[in-house]
Amino acid sequence: MAADGGQDLIILTTDKLSADSVSQSVTCPSCGAVSLFIGTTRDNFEGKKVIRLEYEAYSPMAESELRKICSEIRTKWPSVRRINIQHRLGVVPITEASVIIGISSPHRSDSLEAVKYCINTLKATVPIWKKEIYESGEPCWKENKECLWADAGKDPKQS
Amino acid sequence: MNTEVSVLYFAKSAEFTGLKAENITVPSNISSLQLWQHLETRHPRLSVLRDQVVLAVRQEYVPLGEQPLTLRDGDEVAVIPPLSGG
Repeated sequence: MAADGGQDLIILTTDKLSADSVSQSVTCPSCGAVSLFIGTTRDNFEGKKVIRLEYEAYSPMAESELRKICSEIRTKWPSVRRINIQHRLGVVPITEASVIIGISSPHRSDSLEAVKYCINTLKATVPIWKKEIYESGEPCWKENKECLWADAGKDPKQS
Repeated sequence: MNTEVSVLYFAKSAEFTGLKAENITVPSNISSLQLWQHLETRHPRLSVLRDQVVLAVRQEYVPLGEQPLTLRDGDEVAVIPPLSGG
């Protein structure tokens, strides 16, 4: 599933992601900087061995929330030229990428900051969920601490 | 006045209800909290999520609260457990 809003490319796919492909898609002649973030899947959590991850999305809303993030990025860093955000859905084997963000800008500071903002905001607002499957024990739906309605996001003084 | 809306369940909430989606009929001026309580009545296991869930109505997040939603026939409501994208 791909949606192209001009210079913003947003892709939700079950296919394996490619950092080369993301990088090439945001490279442009006027840009001196391409910044990439790759989120990969770790093989352990609290001493438990993770054998794979499974991702689920509310796809139409995930796309619209990602578009909002692109729009915010362009407001905060107007020099940003191209943005490509790809998130994998379904089964993601260990060490493979679950998300890749590529952003280009004339000078490095803006694309670096924009990529950081992008992944941090994605984790707080985009309706995608990750389930960790362990070697033994029950699978676990993860919760990003960035998400305002997760337990970890609550004020610890409140119960 | 009643409206028929579709409710989508994701992640833990889909496991608790055993459903990805269903259609329900509710008053069009229901609050988000009342809508959630209606879902809990249909699927009691959802009550575990009450403090860790928001709704999405027409693809905008709505916390559980008193504010009235203005639902129209065919609107899409989603149950949104804590996010874990990225």
